[in-house]
Amino acid sequence: MPTSPSLRERTAEAAAPVPPGPPNKGDGRRARPERAALLRRIGLRVLALAVLLGGWQLVTALQLWSPVLVPSPAAVWRALLETSGTHDGVRGYQGHTLIEHLGISLRRIFIGAGAGVAAGLVLGVLMGTLPWVRVVLEPAVAFLRTLPPLAYFSLLIIWFGIDEAPKLWLLAIAAMPPVAVATASAVASAPTALVEAARAIGARRGQVVTSVVLPSALPEILVGVRLAFGIAYSSVVAAETVNGLPGIGGLIRDAQRYNQSDTVVLGLFAIGISGLLIDAALRLLADRLAPWRSHA
Amino acid sequence: MPSAPDTEKTRTAKAPGSAPVVSVTGVRHSYGRGADAVTALGPLSLEIPAGEFLVLVGPSGCGKSTLLRLIAGFEQATEGAVEVFGERPDPGSQAGIVFQQPRLFPWRTVGDNIGLALKYAGVPRAERPERIAGLLARVGLADTAGRRVWQISGGQQQRVAIARALAGGKRLLLLDEPFAALDALTRERLQEDLRTVSAETGTTSVFVTHSVDEAVFLGTRAIVLTNRPGTVALDVPIDLPRTGADPDELRGLPAYAALRAEIGTAVREAAS
Repeated sequence: MPTSPSLRERTAEAAAPVPPGPPNKGDGRRARPERAALLRRIGLRVLALAVLLGGWQLVTALQLWSPVLVPSPAAVWRALLETSGTHDGVRGYQGHTLIEHLGISLRRIFIGAGAGVAAGLVLGVLMGTLPWVRVVLEPAVAFLRTLPPLAYFSLLIIWFGIDEAPKLWLLAIAAMPPVAVATASAVASAPTALVEAARAIGARRGQVVTSVVLPSALPEILVGVRLAFGIAYSSVVAAETVNGLPGIGGLIRDAQRYNQSDTVVLGLFAIGISGLLIDAALRLLADRLAPWRSHA
Repeated sequence: MPSAPDTEKTRTAKAPGSAPVVSVTGVRHSYGRGADAVTALGPLSLEIPAGEFLVLVGPSGCGKSTLLRLIAGFEQATEGAVEVFGERPDPGSQAGIVFQQPRLFPWRTVGDNIGLALKYAGVPRAERPERIAGLLARVGLADTAGRRVWQISGGQQQRVAIARALAGGKRLLLLDEPFAALDALTRERLQEDLRTVSAETGTTSVFVTHSVDEAVFLGTRAIVLTNRPGTVALDVPIDLPRTGADPDELRGLPAYAALRAEIGTAVREAAS
């Protein structure tokens, strides 16, 4: 090629604007105000929490209501200590520590909701890709979605007894619809432009599904998964209304029977805090698995 | 003016009797049905011989993109026949395609976008990294394989899209206004690079644009389409040096200006 050096230089030049360093230039400039805003937000939340706790302490100190109705923060703290170790020869609450109760419930949620999420994924992909499957299954999924889990729990007990099976089934059935609906809608609305781009490089039908439809649906599917775990979380007390001990829902139900409101409140905190942690973990996972969502 | 006649790809270079890469025969295409049907294109017939760089020019809505989609196989003509390498058009099997938007897969890195095209083209996994590096170097983007799609500029994304379209090693390249959404400077650079790549590989290309200058600069032949429904208003060979010419020098040639004027007039008449 004797004659094209000028063009080659230009070609090389065109690559020059790619900076070799870290991907996001200018992050340093933005970092400081962003960090300040973050600190302010965290500070505000800590303050709100302190105000809430102070109000709670004040209300109980004034003894506006009986301690049976509104237990003091100190009583809840005592319940935490009592249920976390062995006192007077009694281990935790009804033979299990708080962490064990929570762990057993979490295990139920992960197995039950996990199965429900898996089933929802399969159903969602089928509904999103095959119109007749959607026509057949959509009403059933919508129907299931409107039912409160406690309503079909009775039937599950008649079918599966009172051990683990009905609890896992309840959580699975509660978790399935949101994933199925989210997956079906995301799969059905795969971007035509990218589907065409995949066909243009020779992707066959199945390959279009794996290379474009599923990845592009992933962010929405992950939102469905978060929703499913949230629903499973709020259903766990329902799942543990019958023969729920050990289990955090069973603990709450059992403590209610003896008017141990401090233990009930403790159980609520345990469910709420672990639920927040799991939701945060799922959100982190979503950002990790689908980083392009925030850049699209 | 240095020129290399052996690499020159013009209509006159076509060997007599060789089958055309693309043949469009009596094609008419309409969208919608019954009373609402709008004829976008035709009737229209044309042949594209091997090695030609055909530019389709025309006002927006003249059906030039429709014609490209028919050749790509994304749509079937309402009437008439389109054949590519003697077969019915099928996306992904006969031609590499570049769209107006890069249409890269954001869940894949720059290199993996090209890697997917290589995979579907049947290139063994072990050979792909080297091929990816080669293709990226060819579009002036060496050492970007590991980057995320959103970390590179729009012009660079379009270069990756071109590399992805070249990855299949197809002998036909279809480009639908690939530079229309880019800024003027980036567009000029990409035009120059595409001209070089095309001259070096001798790939048959169909390029859709509404820019007269782009048509004269890139093409070895230009076809101007009339306003909807699109039919051939002008079909003219562009006989300018393909290799070794400095872009500015090329644009300064009297022949360049004459072609610009001729095609520009035809486009203006087609639009009215």
